[in-house]
Amino acid sequence: MDMKAHAPFLEVEGLAKRFAAKAGRGESLSVIEDLSLSVSEGEFVTVVGPSGSGKSTLLNMLAQIDRPSAGSVRLRGETILGPQSGPLVPGWNCQIGYVTQEDNLLPWRRLEENILFPLRAQGRLDEAARERVAALVELAGLKGFERFYPSELSGGMRKRASLVRTLSYDPPVILMDEPFGALDAQTRMQLHADLLRMWNVKRKTIVFVTHDIAEAIALGDRVLVLSRAPAKVIAEHRVDIPRPREIDHLVLAPGFAALFDRIRQALI
Amino acid sequence: MILAGRILLGISLVVLWEVLHRWLGPGVLAGLYEIALRIAEITRDGRLFRHGGVTLYESFAGLAIGGSLGLALPFLLRLSPRAEQALSPFIGAAMGVPKLALAPLVILWFGIGLASKIAFVAAVVFFLIFFSTMAGLHATEPRLLAVARLMGAGRWLLLREILFPSAVPYVLASLKIAAPRALSAAVVGEFVASDAGLGFYIRDAMDQADTIGIFAGVVVVTVVTVIVNEGLERLQRAALGWREVGLGGF
Repeated sequence: MDMKAHAPFLEVEGLAKRFAAKAGRGESLSVIEDLSLSVSEGEFVTVVGPSGSGKSTLLNMLAQIDRPSAGSVRLRGETILGPQSGPLVPGWNCQIGYVTQEDNLLPWRRLEENILFPLRAQGRLDEAARERVAALVELAGLKGFERFYPSELSGGMRKRASLVRTLSYDPPVILMDEPFGALDAQTRMQLHADLLRMWNVKRKTIVFVTHDIAEAIALGDRVLVLSRAPAKVIAEHRVDIPRPREIDHLVLAPGFAALFDRIRQALI
Repeated sequence: MILAGRILLGISLVVLWEVLHRWLGPGVLAGLYEIALRIAEITRDGRLFRHGGVTLYESFAGLAIGGSLGLALPFLLRLSPRAEQALSPFIGAAMGVPKLALAPLVILWFGIGLASKIAFVAAVVFFLIFFSTMAGLHATEPRLLAVARLMGAGRWLLLREILFPSAVPYVLASLKIAAPRALSAAVVGEFVASDAGLGFYIRDAMDQADTIGIFAGVVVVTVVTVIVNEGLERLQRAALGWREVGLGGF
């Protein structure tokens, strides 16, 4: 395992999530138990785990949509979430962005309005912001579709829009929950390339959750491996493939196959 | 094909009507020709527009008042889930009261003028819109709300950008039910006590055993209802443009 090279930016310590017993479901369910991890600023961390290992639950707690049963979350050393702390603050005052599995675009708003939504909500929509967003829209290959409704766009384009929407307001931390899960292999690869290109422009701190090992290696600086539920981090691998990465030929990169195999072993 | 079928069905209905008219006698079923003549007559002498205007005015005023209250209250309740819980059994009980049976009471309270009919229509419309709007708010995707909150949306923005648009299809659907009901309620209110309106005209015809007049009034109410429905249909299509989806896409 690697030593942490930088001061931790986002720290999770002893996080747990248990669901109480309910009628027709005898015992209480422990989804996450004693999970700790730390991410340094500007790092792209991917988290792999078997499906049902509480990956989404982990991100929901980091985003403060869900409250942990135990443990704490610190951002820049400040405790932002604990089991006893006050009311949840989803997104911690726009410091934590969240790209969810579903694109969650507003179906009744055109693409442009959807992408500008967070800036408008935060009262930060000025000419400079508009220009920045226009550049992102172009980078994501969405130029010319600004006036379309989400239902008129392909799944890949909706994912891009959802990505751009979060990047547009520049949260220091971005959580991503299998954002490309439902796409075909070709579109996925294209989106990996797009994501890395956009990330290269401005290196955000990213926690990217997936069950796809190849995706985790392709994108991440570091891959964390979760156990089956109750989930905790059971392995950690640094990805030494240099950036910028050539997504199309990544499987040929030295070390890819070996790393893939080691992570697969850990997951069994 | 469809057009031919429609024409055939239309002709059959006219023939059937006329046969029954001859068989049962004009006192039971007025002849179509006589009804048409009567409608032409009341159009010429201005009664159609006077009575029709009164009924339309009552319906729309009642629809506007009952509709906006029925639309606004669920949003207010949304701000306080506790108030919603406390209030819901009472509203359910109120829903159970047969509103049409309240017409005499409303007349006693508001007199025989326009106000009583407007209040009556408003009461009927309120519950229809209220429950649909409520259902629309409850059907809002929690994911959309969570994500919007995460991105910094405050209460007002959530209301305007997510809760309201989520409720719109429900509101429009209930409006299409409420509009004909509003017209019926106005007419029923006029039956009970009034000095103008299509209901008054029908009631007046009944007092004189004027079958032709009754049918003429009913035909006019029907035509007005159909026209209002067509207008709402167009409004719905315009408001829900974002939902029009071709299968497949690209």
